[in-house]
Order: sequence, then C-alpha cells, then structure tokens
Amino acid sequence: MNLDKVISGFFIILAMTLNFGFFYGDLADIELHDKYELFIAIVVNVIATVLKLGDRTQMGSVLLATSLVAVIQLIAAASVWTIAINTVGVIDRGLSSIIVSLSGGALLANITSVFLYVGDTLKSRR
Amino acid sequence: MENSSLWIVLQRMRTPFLVIVTTYTVSIIGMLIIPGLDNSGKIYHMSIFDAFYFITYTATTIGFGEIPYAFTYPQRMWVSFSIYFNVLGWFYGIGSLVALLQDKLFIQELAKNRFKRQIKNLKEKYILVLGYNLITSEIIKKALDSGIRAVVIEKDEAKVHELLLENFTPPVPALNIDAYSPQALEMAGINSIYCKAVVSLFQDDALNTRIALTAKLLNPKVRLAVKSTTQAGVENLQDFGVDIVENPFDIIASQTNKALNHPHLLKLERWIYGSSKLTGSFMRFSPGKYVMCGFGRMGEVIYKILKENGLEIKCIEKDIAKLKYLTDDGKNDVEYVESYDKKALTGVGVEQAKYIIVGTKNDTVNLSIALTAKKLNPNIITIVRENEMEDFSIFKTDKIDHILMPSRILIDKTINAIIRPSADVFVKNLDILSDKDAQSIIKTLLDIDKNPILFELKVTKNESFELFRRLENKTTITLDMLRRSLKDKDHLNNVFVFMILRRSKEIMLPSWEEKLQKDDIVLIGCDEHAKEEIELIANNFHEFEFAYFGKEYSVLKNLFSKA
Repeated sequence: MNLDKVISGFFIILAMTLNFGFFYGDLADIELHDKYELFIAIVVNVIATVLKLGDRTQMGSVLLATSLVAVIQLIAAASVWTIAINTVGVIDRGLSSIIVSLSGGALLANITSVFLYVGDTLKSRR
Repeated sequence: MENSSLWIVLQRMRTPFLVIVTTYTVSIIGMLIIPGLDNSGKIYHMSIFDAFYFITYTATTIGFGEIPYAFTYPQRMWVSFSIYFNVLGWFYGIGSLVALLQDKLFIQELAKNRFKRQIKNLKEKYILVLGYNLITSEIIKKALDSGIRAVVIEKDEAKVHELLLENFTPPVPALNIDAYSPQALEMAGINSIYCKAVVSLFQDDALNTRIALTAKLLNPKVRLAVKSTTQAGVENLQDFGVDIVENPFDIIASQTNKALNHPHLLKLERWIYGSSKLTGSFMRFSPGKYVMCGFGRMGEVIYKILKENGLEIKCIEKDIAKLKYLTDDGKNDVEYVESYDKKALTGVGVEQAKYIIVGTKNDTVNLSIALTAKKLNPNIITIVRENEMEDFSIFKTDKIDHILMPSRILIDKTINAIIRPSADVFVKNLDILSDKDAQSIIKTLLDIDKNPILFELKVTKNESFELFRRLENKTTITLDMLRRSLKDKDHLNNVFVFMILRRSKEIMLPSWEEKLQKDDIVLIGCDEHAKEEIELIANNFHEFEFAYFGKEYSVLKNLFSKA
C-alpha cells in the first residue's frame, strides 16, 4: 500500500462526492443547495489539483487538466453566487440554475478524473 | 515535455500550496463558525465571501481592519491565532519559492531553456564547437570574422564564464552541461539546417571518436572536424565518414617533407591555410646534419621523414619510456639523456649540426635548449615547438628561426576546411603539383596583389543566380568570362583559378577554356576589385550580358531583330 496513493485517491474521490452532494437536488431551488458544501467542495478540489501538480506523465497531465476545469467551474459558481447576493440581494430561479449547472459541469470533470484515476490504478500491477 | 523548468517549480511548490490552502480553509471555517454581533447587537454569522476576503488581507499582512462589523472578543482571539497560522504558511511558501530560484538544478534548467531559445532563433549558418579553450576560441573568432556564427557546448562552468566575458559579437550561445551527450548535441541544434559543421578537438582521442560517432548518427549530413593523433584513429574516423580528420602530427610530417623537397608547395599550402603570407621567408630544409631534442609523437614523425630522405639525424630524449619501441636503426640515432643540457647537446654534436629541432612538451625547456644550441653554434638554424598559445609569445626572438605550433596548425586547418571546403580539397591534392608549378602559382598570385583574396564561387541558384540560370538555358560559359573587366570586355582582371570542384571530382589548375557546369565550386584567388566584378557577373543579368557579348542588353534592338 502506498500512502501517497491513498491521500491523492482520497482527495480526488472526495472532490467528486462533495461536488455531487452540492449538485444533487432541484436545479432552480437554491434552498436545496448548501453554500458551505460548495465552499468545502472548492477547497477539496483545490487540494486535489495541487496534489496533481508537477506530474510529468501523460496521465498526470490529463488529471491536472480535468481538476483545473472542475476548480474553475466551481469558483465561477461561487463568484456568481457572491455577486448576485451582494447586488440583486436574492437568488431567483434563473440565478440558481446558473450556479447549480456550473457545479454540474465541474461534476462531469470530476467524474472523468475519477475514471482516469481508477483506470490508471487498475492498469498498474504494483 | 519541453519546458521542464515549469514542472520543477510546480512539483517543488506542491507542499507550500497545500499548506497555504489548509491554513486558509481552517481560518475561514473558524470565522464562519464563531458568531459576531452587528451594529444593533444582533447575532450574525459572516458570509463565506466576507470570511475569505478578511483572511486574504490578514494572511498577507495587509490588514484593512475588521469588517463588516467590529469583532467580538471570541472572534478576535480566533483572528490572533489565525494571523500567526497563516503568516507562517505564507512565509513557508515564499521561502520555498526563493530557495527554488537559487536552486542549482533550477538555474541550470533555466539556462538550458534560454540556450534552446537562442538556438531556435539562430537563423544563420553556424558551427557547433565542443569544448571551449584557446584553440576553439581562435576558431570561433575566425568564423565570426567570416560571417559564420558559433555555438559552444562546454562541460566546465568556469570556461563558460570565460566565454561570456570574451564578449563575442555577434553573441555565441554557450551551453554548460555535465556530459557531451547526444541530448546536448540535439539541444545545440545538430539537426538544424543552419548547422554547418561540428568541431571536436579535444586532447582525448576516445572522446573525439565518440562525439564523431554520435554526431554522425544524429545528422549524417553534418560536416565534422575531429582531431585524432594516431594513424589508426584517423583511418577509423574516415571509415565512418568524417569529412575533416585532423592529426596535427601528420600535418607536421607532411610539412616537413615539403620543406625538404617542395618548399614552394609548402609556402602555397601555408598561405591557403592563412598561416603565413606569400611574401617573406619560409621554412625550407636542406641537406645537412640535424639534431632533435624530444622524441615524442612529433619527434617520431619528423625523425621518420628525415630518415626517409636519407639525412643524418641524432635525437635525444629524457623520458626512457618513449625509447622502448625503437627499431635497431632508431637505437643508433636516439640517445637517452638525463637532462637537455649543454653536455647532452655537445654529445650529439650540435657544433657540427646545421639544424636543431626542439620539440618537447615544455615551452620553457624548448626555449632554453634553443638558446643554448645557438650559443654553442651561432650558425645553427633553430626550429622550435610552441605548445601554449598566449597573446604574448616568449618565442618571438631573433634567436629562433622557425616555430612549429601544433595548435596553430589545427586552428588554421579547421577554419579553412569549414569556411572554404574547396580550399581544403585543393591542399589535399597539392601533392600532384610539382614545386615548379607552385613557384609559378606564387609568382602569378604576387602579380595580382601582395595579399590576394582566396574565395570560392558556388554555381548554385542561391549564390550565382545569373550563371545558374544561363547554364540551365544551355548557354556555354567558360571560365574566361569570369576575368572580363566590366569597364572593357577585352581588358582582363587579376584573377587566378586554383580549382573547379565538380561533384567531388577536382579539376586542378583548370584552363581558361574550361566550361562551367551547374553546381561547380570554383576556387579563386584575386584582388578586391576582381572579386566584386565576379560576383556581379555571376548574379546580375546586365553585367553578365556585358561580360558575355561586350555590350549591354538593349530592349529596342531586341525588338527590331525579332521583327
């Protein structure tokens, strides 16, 4: 067992599960989506990205790319939320669907990332 | 991946990034949990963005104050803790980054990138020089003078600094690398179409051979100038297609032979190499008694040549190891001495000798032997080997008649072969000419100018546009046309043609009636004025017309004749 693999695997999968937790629920109803969960999802995604930095293999590069996509989408969602709450004041159905669908895009990237990671692990014989 | 310095940064910064992310998250979560009081005294919880904003400016020690409301004491206690916590995280991150920038590996990586960029932007002909020392530095200088750029790979960092201090213009990119590996050669652009030649003149023959092999594998088309000091090594290199193999001792042997039998050929050869001028005295050996000090590699070849010519020669040598493999004949002529002093010199009869050749590896010893010999026999002609190349030579005294300099010979031959490959071929074929031929060539050259220009005219589309075009149209052009004056067709310029190189076949001293063909390389000696006119004739439609027909092309007349 390789502790490095445990840690990076933990963060990559946690990034996906948290992302899913935030995304799951009615697209238009912001009440069903917790802001703290989004915050933690961003933090865990950033950590997962940093863990993939500096890996020069082909797999490492693709993993890094998917993580970057996820982080950017989630930060975009959080930014929309912050700007909306401080300018409009309330999150209506339209804004809510923007925020949640952005996180849905991030979820796709995270799922890709997990598939790649699992595939790589299965291929390895050690 | 190409840009490895970026990857080094990313990999090294992984932990610092993680530390910063963790400290931020912990502090932000703390700010979110601890309740504050707003202006009206009601309990409120900070928004995520407020907490992030507050921690961002606090962690970077900017400190805009407590927002959106003044903090409560529990909040302030948490903030005091998180300040230390976050600032430590930042310092650690910045510290790692600074340490990384000073990291040797990282700096080397950056230098490599800069070098690669320089090579990529180098859009001129250049030579790739391996190892920087006095010899290669001379070669670089001469190459730059004739408009060829240079790129250097050097193992020793101190020598790279030396090169940078030399301030070559245009600049010479230099790569400092641990080994002369295939990667290094590739990085220096051995595969580039601008790379004209690779120069490897190390002391170590094995290293030269290895580099030659690698270079030929990487780019079979590139010209190689490689040094080898043994006969077997030279043949070995020629076997796998190295164009210019240089054995300084071979050259000295052939020059000695020429000095004995064909002194004018030697003079011509040395002029083509740029080692000496056409005017003035030159080395020529005549029969008589020879004394030689030092029986190393150089001594051996000179001994052989002199012996083959049936001359009387006595040698002395200090190092007994060098005398192990002597033939019976050699044992009579070579004598072991304890030191090269007066006694040793009189022992081999320096008083009766006509020449003394001093060829040890030590310059001071060489000089002192020569001076002693001159004292014992004022009429003796001294020929001394100079090993070290310095700006100021201790050998510039009238007591020394000729200087033999293996390193100088290497430089002259290499640069000649790189700049004017056809001149190198001409020198190789000099032997088929007689001394008388050489004498008359020298006379013709001196009639042209005191110091004529040697240059090659390539009949290719790029370098002689008009000539090439006319030859494609099946016009017959003789060499004679190149010497026509552009003021008056019947007047002849001062031009001498040494050789035409035609698809690796050489026509030595061609007649003026020789017809030019496409892709010929013509080796010409002439004065400045004639060179200018030859280039005009070769490239300009109207000038060609004039040299060919004696009058300029006229549009009007052409129209009428057609009608």
